[in-house]
Amino acid sequence: MITADDAKKYLPLTEATYYIMLALIEPLHGYAVMQKVEQISQGTVRVGPGTLYGVFDTLVAAGLIVMVKEENRRKSYKLTPKGKEVLLGQIKRLEIMTRKGLAATNRL
Amino acid sequence: MEKTKVTKFRWFWAWQDDAEENWLEKMSQKGYHLSSVHLPCFYEFLVAEPRDYVYRMDYQSFHKKDKEEYLQLFQDAGWEHIGEMSAWQYFRKEAKQGETTEIFTDVESKIAKYKRVLAFLWVFWIPLLVIFGGRILTDSPYPWWGVIQIIILLVLLLFTYAIIRLLMRIRQLRRL
Repeated sequence: MITADDAKKYLPLTEATYYIMLALIEPLHGYAVMQKVEQISQGTVRVGPGTLYGVFDTLVAAGLIVMVKEENRRKSYKLTPKGKEVLLGQIKRLEIMTRKGLAATNRL
Repeated sequence: MEKTKVTKFRWFWAWQDDAEENWLEKMSQKGYHLSSVHLPCFYEFLVAEPRDYVYRMDYQSFHKKDKEEYLQLFQDAGWEHIGEMSAWQYFRKEAKQGETTEIFTDVESKIAKYKRVLAFLWVFWIPLLVIFGGRILTDSPYPWWGVIQIIILLVLLLFTYAIIRLLMRIRQLRRL
């Protein structure tokens, strides 16, 4: 298990990487990830295949996701425990951002 | 009716790949649809009815296994792979309303693409510099050494220029 400090070196995640990791809570192949990202981001983030391929490459190399299945030339990936730690670290950052942001703008 | 093919030669610079994509789109609007690409910079077009296509280029070199996954991913996302020319991958998609026409959807991945081209250029640039440096230091025993020296220098300058332009393109993207 990695510590929160180890996870920090991967932060902040780009918006695309964040949603891709979030989608990989369950095992999914590339195109399914693209569809899920668009859905869970409520259409605010779309990931093109070039971007997705690069993110998969980086995340696999960093050990944040792992290939779990290969079928008909489609590889499925899933978040690793290390990936989950990094994702939680990002969520914490985002939570601070939104909480402080809302508190400050509410006073306007 | 027999299908007519037209081949064109067109040089392009790696940092102007979007101009290249635009050119291919204009060709399709005139009824010339890219059907294959060959080194060095030969484009083969199929003559047919004009269509609105979007063309996109990636720079990727990989092992066969990874390539299958890569091409499947693009195909699933609605992109047709037309061909490959020294690691440049040519893709096409019919332009439809409401559908994304980008293969790179953030600045980071666009920069990563140019960095892959740069990585390739460095591999040639460094040995060229070493060879050129070595040539200058030694006296030339043959008259044609001078000619080789000039050729190496020209290639070296071309690569240096390409590297600088790519670094400028990356900086420009970072500022967006």
